[in-house]
Amino acid sequence: MTAIVPPYLLARIAETDAPHLARAARAARATLEAGHGYDPDLTRLQLSIDENGALVAGATPSPDRVVSDAQNRETLPGVQVRTETDPPTGDEAADEAFDGLGATFDFFWDAFGRAGIDGAGGTLAATVHYGVDYDNAFWNGERMVFGDGDGEVFTGFTNSLTVIAHELAHGVTEFSGGLVYEGQSGALNESLSDVFGALTEQHSLGQTADEASWLIGAGIFTDAVQGEALRSLAAPGTAYDDDVLGRDPQPGHMRDYVETDEDNGGVHINSGIPNRAFHLTATALGGQAWERAGLIWYRTLTAGTLPTTVDFAGFALATLEAATAEYGEGSEEVDAVRAGWTGVGVMADATSG
Amino acid sequence: MQRADEPTVRVTVVRSGGIAGLRRQWQACPDGEAAAEWSALIDRCPWDAPRSEPSGADRFCWRVSAEAGPVRREAELPDADVRGPWRALIDAVRAWPDVTPGAAGRTAPAS
Repeated sequence: MTAIVPPYLLARIAETDAPHLARAARAARATLEAGHGYDPDLTRLQLSIDENGALVAGATPSPDRVVSDAQNRETLPGVQVRTETDPPTGDEAADEAFDGLGATFDFFWDAFGRAGIDGAGGTLAATVHYGVDYDNAFWNGERMVFGDGDGEVFTGFTNSLTVIAHELAHGVTEFSGGLVYEGQSGALNESLSDVFGALTEQHSLGQTADEASWLIGAGIFTDAVQGEALRSLAAPGTAYDDDVLGRDPQPGHMRDYVETDEDNGGVHINSGIPNRAFHLTATALGGQAWERAGLIWYRTLTAGTLPTTVDFAGFALATLEAATAEYGEGSEEVDAVRAGWTGVGVMADATSG
Repeated sequence: MQRADEPTVRVTVVRSGGIAGLRRQWQACPDGEAAAEWSALIDRCPWDAPRSEPSGADRFCWRVSAEAGPVRREAELPDADVRGPWRALIDAVRAWPDVTPGAAGRTAPAS
């Protein structure tokens, strides 16, 4: 069982002298004595029962979340409404953001041992209720910002864990060296946020690659829109087909790459290609996608060797190198990564040629 | 040569990007007395000013083009620059034809 233990309960555990709770008491005292810096000091007590029936206590880092409310203005950060020590606000967007940041923190920690955006347990800052009828969620370089949607096309953007995780992942990418938000490197930046967004949801639900929806933003369209989500990693171009919005324009193969001046060179359009490469890799490997495919992509991002202007082909090579370093040449992981990129036309198929 | 039945002012706003990556377009084609107010709105925008460096991710990208008589101007704006006169012009285009710029009590849509 993993849970955020409230301070009063920590204090009671720390004070107990029951012999069978000795380890738990030590862990609780350590937690209470720690300050609020980095923060593994901000920890959660992890309790479990071992095979002998003894209570075992451990500590894992806790997120340091600060959610603010822009009160429908476009001024940041807004009024602080919830931190780690506060109870739920009762405001749906604020509490969804808080919970979503927590789920994303847990994913990055459990899957990759990463503590938050900066990897050092720094504050996860978010603002909700940004603007009036604001149809967007974004990362501004410092915080995640969520609009309420216009109620006609979009409901609130905190309704989807994949959207919250997508924005947090932009922060992870930026702190990992960054990918220039233009053209192919920008589409890779977008794709990484979609990948980690989807994986966060799968981790939260305990899903395998075959069980997952692979959708980004499911549930943020109103019922009036003919579509199930913003994007599909499994089948780019199929997320929506609406009379007003048109059809999902994402390609799933390099032959359909879209050249455009809009959207920073189509970063939200051409991300469909690396998105599908990841999905092909993950479903070929099976199981929980963050364990192997996700780890390879994460290692690629955080190796410190990725050029900020890397293109699809360069990123594909980097994922092969990461897979080789992690699992060895000739491993099924390397084969799956190569098949993923050949499947979307970024790498040439060696057997065709 | 402009025909009498053509609008004297035409302003087009294209918004792309955002997390959804949806492209939206709005256009205003005011004529008559309203055209003069729109021309003033257009003239107040800093068309030739340097733009802010984009930062972050999933921000909107804006393209504004305006034709007022023989003069045609176009600008690409990062989200951070959509304020002041740019914001007034973009909000007016998005609200047209329901709202005339400068009219009392106008509520500007924010997204």
